[in-house]
Amino acid sequence: MHSAQMQPLSGKELEYIADSISNEDLLIKQLAATAGVTQNATVHQICLQQISSHTHHMNALIQLMQQHQQYAPTQPQ
Amino acid sequence: MYAQNGSAFMADEDLLNTVLADLKRTVREYTTAATESNCPSVRRTFTDLTMDTLRLQGELYNQMSQLNMYTAPGKALRQDIDKQLQTAQQTQTKCQQFVQQKTGGAGAYAQAGNIQAHQPNVHSQNPYYM
Repeated sequence: MHSAQMQPLSGKELEYIADSISNEDLLIKQLAATAGVTQNATVHQICLQQISSHTHHMNALIQLMQQHQQYAPTQPQ
Repeated sequence: MYAQNGSAFMADEDLLNTVLADLKRTVREYTTAATESNCPSVRRTFTDLTMDTLRLQGELYNQMSQLNMYTAPGKALRQDIDKQLQTAQQTQTKCQQFVQQKTGGAGAYAQAGNIQAHQPNVHSQNPYYM
C-alpha cells in the first residue's frame, strides 16, 4: 500500500470500520452456531467455508485500522 | 435430522436464511461505507469487501437453492414485461430529447451516432448499457 494514498481516518470512516467488524463478528458467530447444530454435512461445509471468508474480512478491517493508527492526530483538530 | 431432534434450536433452513439476510444487509452497508470514504485505501478496502460479500451471498443463495431451502420467486408475466418495456422506451426517448434540447445536439452524446442507431433494438441478445 502506498503511503501517498494513506490519509488519516475520518470519524465516519472509523465508525463504518467498527460497524463492519461488528457485522462480520455476528456473521461468524451465526455460522459457527449453525455448524455446531446441523446434522447435514453439506450445510456444515458451507458454514466452514463462509466462516473462513468472514474471518479474512475481519482481519482486513482490523489491518485497515492498524495502518491508519500512525496518521491519526492525538488532539482534536 | 431436525424432524427427529426436538432439542434443535432452529431448522438449518431458518439459520441459513438469517445468515443470508445478514449478508444482504452487510453488502449494502459496505457499499454505503465505500461511497462515503475519503481515504483511497479505505475506499478500496470497502469496495473489495462489497464485492467479496456479494460473492458470498450469491454462493450461499445458490447452495440453499440446491438444498431446496429457498423458493425461487414467481416468474414475471409477458404482458407485464411488455408494459414496462413500453414505458421504459418512452422514458428513454424523452430523456434523449431532453439531452438534445439542453446540449443543442453538440458534445459527446450527439457524436455517439453508432449508439443512437442501435438503441431501439430491444430484441437483441446483446445487453445495451446507457
